[in-house]
Amino acid sequence: MAVWDLTVTVEELGLEAPPLTISVTSDLHIGGVILKIVEKTQIKKDWSDHALWWEQKQQWVLRPAWTLDKCGIHADARLTFTPQHKPLRLGLPNGMTVKLRACFSGPVFHTVVGICKLLNIRHPEELSLLRPVEEKKKKKDKDAQEEVYDLTGVPLTSGSVPSLYNGMPAHFADSPQTEAVYKMLSVSQPPPTPEVIAKMYRPASVVDKAHIHSRWLDSSRSLMQQGVQENDRLWLRFKYYTFHDLEPKYDVVRLTQLYEQARWAILLEDIDCTEEEMMLFGALQYHISKVSQSEPQAVTSCPAMDDLDSALQSLEVKMEGETSSMDMLETMTTAPELHDYLKIFRPKRLTLKGYKQYWFVFKDTSISYFKSKEEGYGEPIQKMDLKGCEVAGDVNVAGQKFCIRLLIPSPEGMNEVYLRCENEQQYSRWMAACRLAAKGKNLADSSFSSEVENIQAFLSMQRSNPGTASTQADENINTHSLVSPRYQKKYKPKQLTPRILEAYQNVAQLSLMDAILRFLQIWQALPDFGISFFVVRFKGSRKDEVLGIAHNRLIRIDLGVGDVVKTWRYNNMRQWNVNWDIRQVAIEFDGNVNIAFSCVTADCKIVHEYIGGYIFMSTRSREQSDTLNEELFHKLTGGHEAL
Amino acid sequence: MYYVDSCVTLRCSPDTSGRTFWESQGAVELMQDRLRVPSDYCVALRDAARRRAERKREGTPSRSLPRFLPVLPRFTVTLPSSSFQALSRSFVHDGITSKMDDIDAMFSDLLGEMDALTQSLGAETGEPEPPKALEIPYNEVNFSIGFADVNESLNELEDNDLDALMADLVAEINAAEETMTTTGKGGAAQPHSDPKGLPRPPPASGHSAASAAPQPAPSSLPRVPDSVGAAKVPSFTPVEPPPKQLIPEDTEAQAKADKIKLALEKLKEAKVKKLVVKVNMNDGSSKTLMVDERQTVREVLDNLFEKTHCDCSVDWCLIETNPELNIERGFEDHENLVEPLSAWTRDSENKIFFLERIDKYAVFKNPQNFYLWKKDKKSLKDMKDKDKELLLQENFCGTSIIVPDLEGALHLKEDGKKSWKQRYFLLRASGIYYVPKGKTKTSRDLVCFVQFDNVNVYYGKELKSKYKAPTDFCFVLKHPQIQKESQYIKYLCCDDAWMMTLWVTGIRIAKYGLTLYNNYKTAVSKGAASSFFTNHAATTTTTSTPVSSKAPVNRHKMFFLWLPKDHCDPSLLPPPPPDPTLPPPPPPPPPPPTSAAKKDFAAQPASFPPPPDSFPSMNFPPPPEADFLPPPPPPDHLLEQPPDFLPPPPPAAAAGGPPPPPPPPPPPPAAADPAAVPTLKKVSVAPSPRPAPPAAAPAGGDFMSELMVAMQKKRRAQ
Repeated sequence: MAVWDLTVTVEELGLEAPPLTISVTSDLHIGGVILKIVEKTQIKKDWSDHALWWEQKQQWVLRPAWTLDKCGIHADARLTFTPQHKPLRLGLPNGMTVKLRACFSGPVFHTVVGICKLLNIRHPEELSLLRPVEEKKKKKDKDAQEEVYDLTGVPLTSGSVPSLYNGMPAHFADSPQTEAVYKMLSVSQPPPTPEVIAKMYRPASVVDKAHIHSRWLDSSRSLMQQGVQENDRLWLRFKYYTFHDLEPKYDVVRLTQLYEQARWAILLEDIDCTEEEMMLFGALQYHISKVSQSEPQAVTSCPAMDDLDSALQSLEVKMEGETSSMDMLETMTTAPELHDYLKIFRPKRLTLKGYKQYWFVFKDTSISYFKSKEEGYGEPIQKMDLKGCEVAGDVNVAGQKFCIRLLIPSPEGMNEVYLRCENEQQYSRWMAACRLAAKGKNLADSSFSSEVENIQAFLSMQRSNPGTASTQADENINTHSLVSPRYQKKYKPKQLTPRILEAYQNVAQLSLMDAILRFLQIWQALPDFGISFFVVRFKGSRKDEVLGIAHNRLIRIDLGVGDVVKTWRYNNMRQWNVNWDIRQVAIEFDGNVNIAFSCVTADCKIVHEYIGGYIFMSTRSREQSDTLNEELFHKLTGGHEAL
Repeated sequence: MYYVDSCVTLRCSPDTSGRTFWESQGAVELMQDRLRVPSDYCVALRDAARRRAERKREGTPSRSLPRFLPVLPRFTVTLPSSSFQALSRSFVHDGITSKMDDIDAMFSDLLGEMDALTQSLGAETGEPEPPKALEIPYNEVNFSIGFADVNESLNELEDNDLDALMADLVAEINAAEETMTTTGKGGAAQPHSDPKGLPRPPPASGHSAASAAPQPAPSSLPRVPDSVGAAKVPSFTPVEPPPKQLIPEDTEAQAKADKIKLALEKLKEAKVKKLVVKVNMNDGSSKTLMVDERQTVREVLDNLFEKTHCDCSVDWCLIETNPELNIERGFEDHENLVEPLSAWTRDSENKIFFLERIDKYAVFKNPQNFYLWKKDKKSLKDMKDKDKELLLQENFCGTSIIVPDLEGALHLKEDGKKSWKQRYFLLRASGIYYVPKGKTKTSRDLVCFVQFDNVNVYYGKELKSKYKAPTDFCFVLKHPQIQKESQYIKYLCCDDAWMMTLWVTGIRIAKYGLTLYNNYKTAVSKGAASSFFTNHAATTTTTSTPVSSKAPVNRHKMFFLWLPKDHCDPSLLPPPPPDPTLPPPPPPPPPPPTSAAKKDFAAQPASFPPPPDSFPSMNFPPPPEADFLPPPPPPDHLLEQPPDFLPPPPPAAAAGGPPPPPPPPPPPPAAADPAAVPTLKKVSVAPSPRPAPPAAAPAGGDFMSELMVAMQKKRRAQ
């Protein structure tokens, strides 16, 4: 057989070096070609990760047993001998960038699986990679180099479950640097400054939101095939909004990143919410950042420590059990009280009476007041039971105004009562007591002191905010960094703080994970949650419309008004097809309902993949949560290329 | 409906002056007057010091003031003094040996004080009213009821209500004693736990139950075992001293500590609030039951299932009506019943109904009607079960609960205004919002109308005439404590009944979330368990008992209804309710020939005659209740209640109320009723035989006859 020359570029020889030329025959298999190349380079190193990339065809030559002939490689082919795993700069949902080695030769789906294994994120099928939005970088910003966490040195293990060491996967425990990376991954980031939020790209319309989805990479082709180069920047994001089997014990990184993605979606108005919901999101963000800064992460995420903790706790409970009679005695004999001179004001129609001072006693869940301290043992002027009442603060630290507004239910309606305290200390204690009482707890409740602290923390926040000098990174958080720019514009921090504080009282007792889960729950309960938008043109229609793809349904939305025109659920779906020639998706539903559309903003492969992906997600069940049926995924999402 | 914010403990001693508790109603008012107790006066024991100060101020002699006890300390519901002794003695069995007297002393002190109080109370009231028809033949009764309403409530209480109530109370005591005796026995089984060799307390249980309400309504008698009150057994049981306590040297300190603990537990227990609730039935009759603060609506429903022998469908619902506001609301199964009832005012006309409401759990039966309500009705009707299941999965089993996507124009009346104005409302998980004028319905423009933390949703009734509502399909949002007209009540009016149901259900989902679904699952499993037993009964007796018929009372069905509680396969049953309210084992029926029994009495015949085919048609006389079921060959020493005991005949003055079921049939001779016996055998699993010294039965009989004599004497005295 004829011998001919094959030119192969080898990066290891240097960029300037001429390509290698090796003599081959057509029946030489690829493995043999590689062997020849390696011999020719005369470089001793581990070549096992290298493979041949065929530049003209934009494809990898990965089957070592195939002959050149079978692959269709002739003398005119320009091949590159290059590693399959290359460094990639990956933008995480939390806005940080991590540099790691990703697989450039396998389908993106496979690449994501590898990345997620490295980052310790379960259920990689829910994530994917997309090209980042170009940042409008001004020249002067250039010197502000972003911090890149480097994980390229970490070998990719083939073991299925990463073993844990010191509360983190073993591959993170190698060096202080990697430990820092793990901390970045598993601890939520402090709230961004309002300026940062304001500067970031925000989708203004549903069309903008649709454009984001045109950036997803094709899961069935490799990174190289899609033109991604070494050291390129990509985003890793949760793509499918069905989060299977969230388990705080194993999913620290996954939950943290999911929370970050949700948080940014809300801050950047990617998903709309109401003002009340925004306040609650703000309160949760505040709580999460506060708790995650104070809580040593390693302890919470380490199962061994968990066990120890729970053991200690149960021991404590036991001890408590032993002494319970004493406790009981105490709670029954000495119920804590609060007493102070406060001013009260009861707004009534047609009266303009101001605040009057009385001697107040807070006991159990009720407030009684007396003319003076001396009469405190007699009959109170009035006794108000606060169970089930609404409590709100009306505070202005600068103006030294500390009011508690109570709406106390009674059979006749709600009674409005204002209590005015003298100072912060008094206010925070009485406020905390009112809040507990509203929930039916008394002062003996263990959460009283933490409630007091929380209120004080919020007060101090208000104190430091109005001043302009306090923008530097002190410990206090500007409440503006907890809400989207829309509300930043609408409210001043001092208006915002009490509102967030109000929402905060309902979440202040949550643990870190519970708070994150609550955040995610509220996010998922938003009506627009989990809908990915695409601008499409329905068959037979003359105008562009929006197709929303959610985990259980397709939604046809009017582009102009934003109204839902029609929804179709997947479980009524008979089949769906893509006509790759005319790039049209056709779907058939039960009852002979047929729809077809072509995609305007995104490739129809992306739409196809989205629908197939959600159907794949719905096939997952609890029992087989550990085994990922990659083949089925490709079958459902791959299109004609996969078959 | 009568309720108890607090209570007074009174004692009636028929032997002193013939006055009973029921007569001293006037005294209660007087007391209340004199003390000027605020509405939330529940004064606990521990405030004794402060009260003394009050007394001084009032200038009343300290002894003459009634002592207000937190509601119904369980142990003061002692009835016959013998049972009290039994109770205390059983503590001895449990190992508190040396200074039991202390606690005894404590109790008797308490009782003595109450005694004194009642007497002084009597002095204050002056002439007692003539006694009513009902008399309670106890040596000593400490009974408590809210004095806020005591006048009305007692007047309204019909005799059979009182009977039922008393039966409940007595059953409670019985159950308590029963546990005592069993624990006592358990203790005795250990090598050296019975140091003093005290005789076991005479199990007087069954008899006092029988004596509780013997006269007017014998109907209540058979139900005693499964009544509400009996549900509070566990509170007595926790006395399980560590073994080392039995060594005399160690005991002293330990025992003392234990006693303190016990006393504290009792005190804590004593703080448990209880209400006497009158539940109105569909047919205009009513049932009266005692509800404890810790009981959920689910547990109360279960009690009612047992009492009414209905079909246990998931649609049964306890409904609160407020005639003043023309609103009503079905309680959710997880709610505590006492809490909302405590918000009622004294003069409240509110009522509780026990009714079937389809919309209670309609969303779980046909989720598509709620979650896909915008789609055309026809396609929803034929929805496959699989798809329904999927809908529930999507909306209730995910990380987050999804509320139905509900929006539309509603008429609103709020802020006490008279006019109704139309707005476009949207339901979200976080609350109800409306679209302000000139804005679109995008999320960010919405204005919050109400959040659900502090409001409940009610159905409005006939608000069209009352408030000129555009339609009669209104729902109302208000704080549960608001009972009268107020500007804080929000009225919303829908175009049709279906929209109203959608909104109310949607709000309930938003408010209760997963709890609602769990309630439903519990309800289904309860229903399934009972219908299983009905079916099972049907198969074993070769009948075809309708499972879900609404037939009022099916006697041989009801017999199976209480059985599953203890005797059926646990896997079929929902998890038992939280401990303190665990339904007690019904007083063991004469033990069926079960495996355990067989072990002991291998001589028993192993098989029984098959059920006769005639059984299904046998409606009257009904098969005897389990209590009266004789064991095929009753092993003598297991038989604790003499089967030949019959309650005294009902007096002529039987008041209205539920039609009394047929009188209990005379206990059939052993194996005389072949129909019931084999059935029982198949269904039930051995209940642990209660220890019953053979002497107990005659003793009980004596007691009963004593009571009879006492009662007759009393009647003559009047």
